[in-house]
Amino acid sequence: MVSILTFIIMIAVGAAVLGFIAVSAMFLIWWERKVSAHIQTRYGPMRVGWHGVLQSVADVIKLLLKENIVPEDVDKPIWWLAPFFAVVPSVMVFVCIPFGNLFGIDLIARDLNIGILYIMALTSISVLGIFMAGWGSNNKYSLLGGMRSAAQIVSYEVPMIISMVTAVMFAGTLSMQKIVEAQRGMWFIFQPNMAVAFLIFVISATAEINRTPFDIPEAESELVAGFHTEYSGMKFAMFFLGEYTNLFIVSALAATLFLGGWQGPFLPPVLWFLIKTYGIITVLMWVRWTFPRVRVDQLMGFAWKVLTPIAFANLAVAGWILLK
Amino acid sequence: METIKENIHTEEFWVNMGPQHPSTHGVLYLEVKLSGETVVDLITHIGYLHRGIEKIAENRTYTQFIPFTDRLDYIAAMGNNLGYVLAVEKLMKMEVSDRAKYIRVIIAELQRVASHLVGITTFAQDLGAFATPLFYGFREREKIVELFDDICGNRLTYNYMRIGGLQFDLPKGADEKIKNIIKYMRPKIDDLESLFSSNAIFTARTKGVGALSKEKAVNYSVTGPNLRASGVKWDLRRDEPYLCYDKFDFDIPTGVNGDSWDRYKVRIEEMRQSLRIVEQAIGGLPEGDPTIKVGRIIKPEAGESYMRTEAPRGELGFYIVSDGSAYPYRMKIRSPSFSNLAVLSELAKGIKVADVVCVLGSLDIVMGDIDR
Amino acid sequence: MIKYFINIVAGAISLMKGLFVTFKNLFSKAVTVQYPTQKLQMTERYRGLVDLRIEKCIKCYMCVKICPTACLALAHKETAEKKKEFVYFKYNMELCCFCGLCDQVCPTQAIYLNQIYEIAVYGRDKLRDIDLLNTEKYGEWAHPTVK
Repeated sequence: MVSILTFIIMIAVGAAVLGFIAVSAMFLIWWERKVSAHIQTRYGPMRVGWHGVLQSVADVIKLLLKENIVPEDVDKPIWWLAPFFAVVPSVMVFVCIPFGNLFGIDLIARDLNIGILYIMALTSISVLGIFMAGWGSNNKYSLLGGMRSAAQIVSYEVPMIISMVTAVMFAGTLSMQKIVEAQRGMWFIFQPNMAVAFLIFVISATAEINRTPFDIPEAESELVAGFHTEYSGMKFAMFFLGEYTNLFIVSALAATLFLGGWQGPFLPPVLWFLIKTYGIITVLMWVRWTFPRVRVDQLMGFAWKVLTPIAFANLAVAGWILLK
Repeated sequence: METIKENIHTEEFWVNMGPQHPSTHGVLYLEVKLSGETVVDLITHIGYLHRGIEKIAENRTYTQFIPFTDRLDYIAAMGNNLGYVLAVEKLMKMEVSDRAKYIRVIIAELQRVASHLVGITTFAQDLGAFATPLFYGFREREKIVELFDDICGNRLTYNYMRIGGLQFDLPKGADEKIKNIIKYMRPKIDDLESLFSSNAIFTARTKGVGALSKEKAVNYSVTGPNLRASGVKWDLRRDEPYLCYDKFDFDIPTGVNGDSWDRYKVRIEEMRQSLRIVEQAIGGLPEGDPTIKVGRIIKPEAGESYMRTEAPRGELGFYIVSDGSAYPYRMKIRSPSFSNLAVLSELAKGIKVADVVCVLGSLDIVMGDIDR
Repeated sequence: MIKYFINIVAGAISLMKGLFVTFKNLFSKAVTVQYPTQKLQMTERYRGLVDLRIEKCIKCYMCVKICPTACLALAHKETAEKKKEFVYFKYNMELCCFCGLCDQVCPTQAIYLNQIYEIAVYGRDKLRDIDLLNTEKYGEWAHPTVK
């Protein structure tokens, strides 16, 4: 039996987290357009609001007003549920992300003592959403896109999880808040084999969230438009939202596990967390707008022949260092 | 007793890369037969941009036809103008002043740089480097196109060459502008190269893809940078010099394997060599007045002539038959992209679907040239 | 084994080089202008719409003959003192290809190409029968200039 006060606190925290996700996704869309524009020596959105800040609001209103087209012969339950499977796990991850430390209260929805395990499990579910979208669309091109994407996500999970495990080994605990506190002396990234783990994590995370150079399932691929061709209006917006939420999550994870979370001098911890997270997001955007796409077979080769052996070797070295 | 053979039926299916394309090469329709991810057959359909330019030529005077040549290869329009005007001058056995020749060389080489910028950066876009190299390439090209705008008044369809000379002389300050372009462009080409050449992803996607052997290239009459990438050292500016190309010192870059990477690399090197030529030409520009008045009706005597020039995409040839009147009897245009495209269905057999786009992008075709 | 590592390191360095180029461009000035609040100035020889200095025209028909798409239509009549007078001088902008041959061939520089480049209209009939003798013909279009 849960008391009314706890219930109200739960609702409030849940609303705060959802509100943060919505605002963050809209901000990220604007930020991506601005960063890409300045890399290409142009301006980006400039008209809606000061330097186009309200452009995302305009886009959301447009997507809400779009017609909801349901093609014939789709596999109704699977097709309707696919966007939710893509978005809901990402939102659920936010329970465990440590936003900071305000006057002694930890800003984290619930500091599970198996935090990292919970996050790893949830990121593995989101591949279901893509696969369901590909299958349910009753379209051979979407199926191709969905299967490629499923293969890509499943293969890149291995190096990602192994690099996360390396950080966990150094911290000695699975709880997110305690990992941040274990970096009180020195951030993990300054140790050499943690730097390698950081690189592997960032590269596999880019592949996990389907961004260039690994964006075969989603971008205007050679023949078709990928697994979300048949979606329009709000369902497409959910896929889009899911992608940007994933971007935020992997950057937040990288900031927490390797860059010391919300720690830093002078400024309040929340601000440090946001600075680090958005710094990594900007680096990921920078990478996206520089490199061409990798071909499917080269993608798989890269994951299994390069990243996974290096990740395992790194793990072995980390174990040896800790045992000394 | 009968043995029952079991057929394991795998399907090969036809996929249309229809006239509207994500990879922007104009309206080209490819039917690709796929077995899994590998291409088994490829059929090309062209003709979506056919405007009947060769037939139009039979009802226009020689001067009136010059604006129509702009619309052939619309990315490198000065090259088309030049090819046509040289063909008519050869038919009429007309001499051109030295200053006109030098200015024509400068313009043609700058046009080559601009055209290769488009070719290379759209190739990068086909590979997935979303728009960033395209913006850089077009920003560099903007300098050249602005110069052409200063010279003749238009940015895409120049209508600048005239039979016997040019429409205008270079405006005041064009010398300085050309020298600034050369100075500006050299580090930018190095930038583009470091963004691409050594990039591991780019080399992994293009090396070994769509290799065209020397014999096949010659047999299919592939010309231009594609031919030179396959190892054949044939360049009309060196082997059949026209204008005053024999006075300038430049190298002909060639490739080794003839794959997509070589085709890209040859284009980058050609841009550098073109800048060399422009530098030499602007250093020694003779005096004079290259302009030609257009009122006179041009009536060549009956006969025929074929003149070929090295356009940025290959060998552009104009075959003109004249019957003595003011209108040509027949004009046949040998377009480089038409022959270059023919080799695609040969190269596409056995490669993956993603590589079809790579090969098509590296061949650098323009539909206006193919369909005329 | 060693080659494997060398390949990886060389690949990583090459990718870094590409990142430097984009980084440099991230902080360079933008090359675009915010149209329509900022407009670019066209060059001196820019070929815009066909325009006429009516008093200079000697009705020699050279421009009509040289136009590749036959978009100019001119008719004149002779007055009692053997002077030529306009009946009409029409210009079909739908057919015009903005080549500038009429500008170049005119012996008195009466017909010329002005600098108007914003030629979007709401009805095609405005494009078809432009009366060159009307000095207010381009009143609706942006910035008419006289060369």
